[in-house]
Amino acid sequence: MAVLNRMDWYDLARSTNWTPKYVTEDELFPPKLSGEFGLPLSAWENYDEPYKQTYPEYVKVQREKDAGAYSVKAALERSRIFENADPGWKSVMKAHYGAIARGEYAAASAEARMMRFSKAPGMRNMSTLGCMDEIRHGQMQLYFPHEHVSKDRQMDWAFKAYDTNEWAMIAARHFFDDIMMTRDAISVSIMLTFSFETGFTNMQFLGLAADAAEAGDHTFANLISSIQTDESRHAQIGGPALKVLIENGKKEEAQKRVDIAVWGAWKLFSVLTGPIMDYYTPLEHRKQSFKEFMEEWIVAQFERALTDMGLDLPWYWDIFLKDIGQTHHGMHLGSYFWRPTLWWNPAAGVTPDERAWLEEKYPGWNDTWGQCWDVFIDNVVDGNMAMTYPETLPYVCNMCQLPILGVPGKGWDVKDYPLEYNGRLYHFGSEVDRWVFEQEPERYAGHLSIVDRFLAGMIQPMDLGGALQYMGLAPGEIGDDAHNYAWAEVYRALRETRKAG
Amino acid sequence: MALFPLTSNFEGDFVLQLVPVDTEHTMDEVAAAAAVHSVGRRVRDRPGHILRVRRHGSTELLPRNLKVAEAGFKPTETVDIVWQAA
Repeated sequence: MAVLNRMDWYDLARSTNWTPKYVTEDELFPPKLSGEFGLPLSAWENYDEPYKQTYPEYVKVQREKDAGAYSVKAALERSRIFENADPGWKSVMKAHYGAIARGEYAAASAEARMMRFSKAPGMRNMSTLGCMDEIRHGQMQLYFPHEHVSKDRQMDWAFKAYDTNEWAMIAARHFFDDIMMTRDAISVSIMLTFSFETGFTNMQFLGLAADAAEAGDHTFANLISSIQTDESRHAQIGGPALKVLIENGKKEEAQKRVDIAVWGAWKLFSVLTGPIMDYYTPLEHRKQSFKEFMEEWIVAQFERALTDMGLDLPWYWDIFLKDIGQTHHGMHLGSYFWRPTLWWNPAAGVTPDERAWLEEKYPGWNDTWGQCWDVFIDNVVDGNMAMTYPETLPYVCNMCQLPILGVPGKGWDVKDYPLEYNGRLYHFGSEVDRWVFEQEPERYAGHLSIVDRFLAGMIQPMDLGGALQYMGLAPGEIGDDAHNYAWAEVYRALRETRKAG
Repeated sequence: MALFPLTSNFEGDFVLQLVPVDTEHTMDEVAAAAAVHSVGRRVRDRPGHILRVRRHGSTELLPRNLKVAEAGFKPTETVDIVWQAA
């Protein structure tokens, strides 16, 4: 029997829509879940996905992708790549798996919301495949690290992190809960797939795949490249939805969702990806600085994606352009200084050679962040380790849940952006974080940051031990310097030379 | 006498930090409590300087012997801790 070509039947099959007779349209597609944009079913039938795939095609391609990634893993299982890897690279893997794997699983439910509740038939088809993608990503990124759990307890955080109150996980959950777990189907398509996946996961996965290959970790490189091929397909779910909204006079609503999601994604990447690229990755394996990567992937490409769509650049674009050269240095210094509260061992990345690279990529680094590191390095060289650890909490932002920070040293410029709402004083790390809160205060007002929880007596005893227990960090899991401070030897030697001279 | 949380924005440091003080503390004592978490950890000491407190973003220094209870701070309000030549 002759089989029709896909394009001879695809549009007709996927647009064969129900016409509800026994229930109203609002009962079939409750506005809270389908999107309160006031657009009828007919408007959404114009949704035209750029990437068309049928279920049999999907199964065939995915099977091949899985076979590829799993066979590389099987072939390299005895290679001792993990055992021999630079400790900084192990930290990259630990941070990535913990922050990402279970989030992918959660994303399957966001995709499922689009699959069931979107009024656009094409979106329902795309997100059916997207939902299966996310289940696959969750499973792979739990299965791949599992072989290392017996060698290194921190690897257990690939599974464990998402259920804990570790501060970075509170930040990740706050963001993903906001953009994908508690939004209607159309908003998910804009905030998760268009804003987050088109803009940012590209960078995390392409950037890391390149770094992994450089570091000789071909299992990891293959895994995340395999995932990225799915992302680049289902990230296209949001674009056509934006088009429908703009064509129907809903640009303002669409723009606001983009602006909120892009900012949150940026803050999360400044703490997760920035330190990895500019500090953890061994100097000889760095291809580009984080800022250069951001400029290529976000500023150049995403800017074009926005304007091609008929949207404006977010109102805060100038603030964002300034931040991409600054914020992640503070996020690195902060996460490193509070290192017992991490489930990975951060690499300091501040040897004289690394500092020369930082100064070249970020002119003025030595006079700003370098000033703080100078004090830290002196303490390590002097063996004054007590002073290299914190004795209080950094104040965190009530929106992004990350430390409120700015430029230190000679360029000192650190600002709080406070707001009093219903008698409670909230603190924000930027004008944009505060703006997001102000768009829908009741959505966010009840959340307690890690500092709010501490002040409310929810963390007992009120010291580092109590905080680590609250965050679920057991002995053997708490973070410390990735290289056991071996990098400080060069500074010790320099000091000896100076003394001898 | 009551514990009172303030947020320290310490000159030369990179991050805001939670600093518990007492309502009976003077501004000099607030500055000293904030310094514990910055000076010698990420900010070098400045001999010949003292530390002063001001409301966040203000240029006006608060009197050195002003008490926390008298300053009218809100709990967790951010204060700038800045160096002043002695």
